[in-house]
Amino acid sequence: MDLISENLLTILILLPAFGALAVLGHSLYWKDDGHLKWITLGFTVVAFLISLLLLTGTPGSNGFFFEKNIPWIQAIGTNYHVGVDGLSLWLVLLTTFIMPIAVLSSWHAVEKRPAAFYVFLLLLQSAMIGVFVSLDLLVFYLFFEASLVPMFFLIGIWGGENRIYATVKFFIFTAFGSLLMLVGIIALYYLHLEATGAGTFDLLTLLATLEAGKLTFAAPVGTLLFLAFAISFAIKVPVFPFHTWLPDAHTEAPTAGSVILAAVLLKMGTYGLMRFNFPLFPEASRELAPIFIVLAIIGIIYGALVAMVQPDMKRLVAYSSVAHMGFVILGMFSFTEWGMQGALYQMLNHGISTGALFLLVGFIYERRHTRAISEYGGISSVMPLYATFFVFTTMSSIGLPFLNGFVGEFLIMVGMWKSTILSVTDSANWNYIATMAAGTGVIFAAVYLLWMVQRIFFGKLTNEKNRGLKDLTYREIGLMVPLLFLMVYMGVYPKPFLERSRDTVVAIQERVMRQAGGTVDHDEHTAKAK
Amino acid sequence: MIENNLLAIIIFAPLVGAVINWLVGGRLRNEMFSGVVACGSIAISAIVAFYLAFVADGGALFIDKPVLSHIWTWIDVGGFRADFALGMDRLSAIYVCFITFVGFFIHVFATGYMHGDNGFYRFFAYLNLFMFAMLVLVLADNYLLMFVGWEGVGLCSYLLIGYYTNQDEPRRAAKKAFVMNRIGDWGVLMGIFLIFTLTGSISFYDKSVDGVQVHSVFTWVLENISVAEPFTWGAIIAGGLTSIGVLLFIGATGKSAQIPLLTWLPDAMAGPTPVSALIHAATMVTAGVYLVVRSNAIYQLSPTAMWIIAVVGAATAIFAATIAIAQNDIKKVLAYSTVSQLGFMFLAAGVGAFVVAIFHVMTHAFFKALLFLGSGSVIHGMHHEQDMRKMGNLKKYMPITFITMATGWLAIAGIPIFSGFFSKDEILYKTFAADKYFQGGYFPGNEILWIVAVITAVLTAIYMTRMMIMTFWGKERFHDALPGEEHHDDHTHDDGHTSSHDDDHHHALPHDFKPHESPWVMTVPLIVLAFLSTVGGLIGIPYAMSSLPVVSSIVSKNANHFEHALEPVIAEIETPTAIKARENAASHSPEAVSTERWLALLSTVLAVVGIGIGFALFRNNPLRKMPKILEEKWRLDDLYNGYIVDPLTRLSTNTLWKGFDVGFIDGIVNGIGSFISETSSYMRGIQGGFIRGYAAMIILGALCILGYFVYFGIRLIG
Repeated sequence: MDLISENLLTILILLPAFGALAVLGHSLYWKDDGHLKWITLGFTVVAFLISLLLLTGTPGSNGFFFEKNIPWIQAIGTNYHVGVDGLSLWLVLLTTFIMPIAVLSSWHAVEKRPAAFYVFLLLLQSAMIGVFVSLDLLVFYLFFEASLVPMFFLIGIWGGENRIYATVKFFIFTAFGSLLMLVGIIALYYLHLEATGAGTFDLLTLLATLEAGKLTFAAPVGTLLFLAFAISFAIKVPVFPFHTWLPDAHTEAPTAGSVILAAVLLKMGTYGLMRFNFPLFPEASRELAPIFIVLAIIGIIYGALVAMVQPDMKRLVAYSSVAHMGFVILGMFSFTEWGMQGALYQMLNHGISTGALFLLVGFIYERRHTRAISEYGGISSVMPLYATFFVFTTMSSIGLPFLNGFVGEFLIMVGMWKSTILSVTDSANWNYIATMAAGTGVIFAAVYLLWMVQRIFFGKLTNEKNRGLKDLTYREIGLMVPLLFLMVYMGVYPKPFLERSRDTVVAIQERVMRQAGGTVDHDEHTAKAK
Repeated sequence: MIENNLLAIIIFAPLVGAVINWLVGGRLRNEMFSGVVACGSIAISAIVAFYLAFVADGGALFIDKPVLSHIWTWIDVGGFRADFALGMDRLSAIYVCFITFVGFFIHVFATGYMHGDNGFYRFFAYLNLFMFAMLVLVLADNYLLMFVGWEGVGLCSYLLIGYYTNQDEPRRAAKKAFVMNRIGDWGVLMGIFLIFTLTGSISFYDKSVDGVQVHSVFTWVLENISVAEPFTWGAIIAGGLTSIGVLLFIGATGKSAQIPLLTWLPDAMAGPTPVSALIHAATMVTAGVYLVVRSNAIYQLSPTAMWIIAVVGAATAIFAATIAIAQNDIKKVLAYSTVSQLGFMFLAAGVGAFVVAIFHVMTHAFFKALLFLGSGSVIHGMHHEQDMRKMGNLKKYMPITFITMATGWLAIAGIPIFSGFFSKDEILYKTFAADKYFQGGYFPGNEILWIVAVITAVLTAIYMTRMMIMTFWGKERFHDALPGEEHHDDHTHDDGHTSSHDDDHHHALPHDFKPHESPWVMTVPLIVLAFLSTVGGLIGIPYAMSSLPVVSSIVSKNANHFEHALEPVIAEIETPTAIKARENAASHSPEAVSTERWLALLSTVLAVVGIGIGFALFRNNPLRKMPKILEEKWRLDDLYNGYIVDPLTRLSTNTLWKGFDVGFIDGIVNGIGSFISETSSYMRGIQGGFIRGYAAMIILGALCILGYFVYFGIRLIG
């Protein structure tokens, strides 16, 4: 047991990779594709169960638990340094939770080269977990890049008709961002080398040096470094105007790909901002926050408006992702405990709700092989259970109170409302105006999602092809139930989630705000009250 | 602090009922079972509610402290605290009592009305869920939990309007209702943020939870703000109490269908009639009034917000009344009438007569639920025909429905003794005398508002009389063809009447058709509500009337029990004008009393005149042609579609999506892409054209760059 808990994160990274080997070996040796999905499912389920052990951890003095720091390439001072804290804990769990669901979602859908499909799926999982637990910039970068490749193939081989275009676009966008980040990482290495005489890629060492004041960034350098990271992450999120790869990638990806893309891959961007950008470059974070806030608000409204007029279900959900991730960005850059906690919570919520929406679209696509909204209408009469699940998930995505989306969005908006980051002038409360503008996204979400629901499910069943549609199978119900359960649970009782992330988030927030001479303003209102 | 965990039963009983009906009822498909579960759970709620309101701990209606119950802490982040906790003070107690009471009878009625519908269990699951949300709304002890109920009733309204899922109109109406409500919800959310920023709390009551003292928003306001905000437009955007007031009122306009967010409510009539009675007449749509009255401490200090509420209320009242006069669908008449009556309630709240607003909410709940259920009974008896042009002389076939609906008609028209008289008359008087009783002092334009209200009162009597005549009097028109409608035995008419249970019902009425009286499960609720519509107003007889010599020999002089019960809910603001207003109200000066009596006489006369006009106009000519513009609802929907919805859709499609996304950004990316592919066509020799090949090359390239830096780094150190 000790062996497991000591190397828990390493096991979580390697287990899926071993799974990939097992799949490969099985398919080469027995030439039998029937068992591959079971093997994959087995590995992902075991990984999920093991990952639950993360909840037993208690943070060490630096806030991390299950930390492991082994020298790797000593010459350049890069270590295999992994650990989880309140920020990454839930994202790792989200990853391990969503993977079995993704596997089950493509239970019958993969006909072409199943072995390769499952290998990529499992490798993707290794990379994703690696991203969330790496505390060494170089190791992080490798995982970050590594996660691209399986997704690239998943879309490129098992995607829809337009898959090549989508893949290339996906790759151009993300590769461009990654290279910028690589430059940033290397620059950091040399700056640290200059300042202290030893180069390092280790995040915690870098932070400690910055904290001690031994390393400071000259005027444009901090901002440029911030941008090198931030653009890379912004593309991943995606922040407007870097979002146009997302609808194409989502639309062309197979269901499992879309689910993972929405649930986990997008979160790497927002996670990266919080993990690296904010602590490393607090001044630049504050300085550039207004730009990101404006982009987030544009994204919220823009994504919603464009989602409204999409004729394709998946494209609609993809654009809704742009809007929802806009909220996450907004909350993070408010630099208040409410906003940042809300942003983190919203990452999880978006993973669950949008993941569920893609699953649901996948279900109907498998039956009718079309995602055009106009092909449907009135199908609640033939698929009542499906309609119920769909409406439920829609409500969660719209942010109905007591479902998960509300708590996140609400905290984000409270955070923005109370944020001091925009108080450039005294003439107007820009933070109020920003929140009010972002708040309209809540209205639009209802418009585009309910309009889709209305056109797909209600009214008369006009298209004869839909008359024979079968309602959900037990497998599909089984996939949805855990997601629906979480939607309710997280909406009604967010405490366990928020409690565990609190210290980490507050530490980041204080780090960003403190150096401005700005105080941390939990209790500002009570002070005002007295 | 009084705690009583029984409060939880009030809200959870309907929730449990909903779950049972959904899970078990869906399998059993037994109407008896579903009906008993649904009505039984509401009965439990009602019993507990009345017990807590009148008996336990001295009765929440009679004691000064709220009865609280903490269930769990919902959100607690960085000093922002929202508990799932309930509180019953006098205001909540009144609301809970009439909601559960009226709700119970509407449930009973619905078991008859929905008989034979194959979604019977689903209907009652939704209806119970609605009761849960509505009770959360009025029992919540803080703004955020109230908002949960607020959104919850919106959801249930959505589900129930769209209940007949296989038809077009309900699905459109459902979406419209949800979206318009959402626009309002935006205001509530922003209002909550501002409340939290200003006062550091969102709780309605002072309490302590887990050893933490939580202060009430209103206590904070009373203790910290002693001067009313200025009566100026600027106050609206100043970020103070007036801003809060206006933001919350935006929410109220959505939920309670006031200008400009009113068009969803008439469309919502596409839902089953019991739903219209429960949600779109008696309970949910009055949530906006609840919100305003609940926040009265805030409003009393923001006269600008109050003035806006009064003006919007009066404008909505007359606007909707003019439309109601020209509608032919019996439910549409009632829907516009509801909008109009809600306008009256806001007018009352806006001139500072919060108690009267709530009084009208309650009497309206009785008589409007009655009228809607009556119309449901008519529709049931007419085999789902809603067009009044095809009715007539129904009093012969449906005597109980006729008599009960007639009491509702007299109540809403404002005939003395009937409940609507007392509440409406109070509103008219308070508006007339707003300068005396308005907490903000001088109230500009109150005379105009009074005239508008008086005209609306006459219009109300006219359109209700028209409805009664078209439905119950005159000659039978069951078999007449409508203008533009051919007459066949089994002709299906597609003119937008959609409240039939399924397509089979959707025929013109056959030759041998005779309307029939409804079964007892439907008539008993009618009788109960008719009784309440008649006498329900007697608990709030204003002083001016109870002090009349004749009356005071029967009831005591202080017979306005309703006002006394609610007085503590209205915050005692310590501004000079508010103190003056309270003094004026308490003194019952002879001049004021005599003015009020004369006005009461006037409004009685007007009600009679209105009914008279109605008979004169429609008795012999029930199908009198009404102005086209009124029939088309002032074309407000066209305005919204033409100037908001369509341009926004065009902007999104052409400019944003196809212009910016596909044209501009993708143009750049594709440019880069084609540049790369052109360059690479020179290197075709090493490229197979497979996507795998490209990927491999790119990874290889990335690795080369990486390798270079790693090597460079090593060399540098070494």
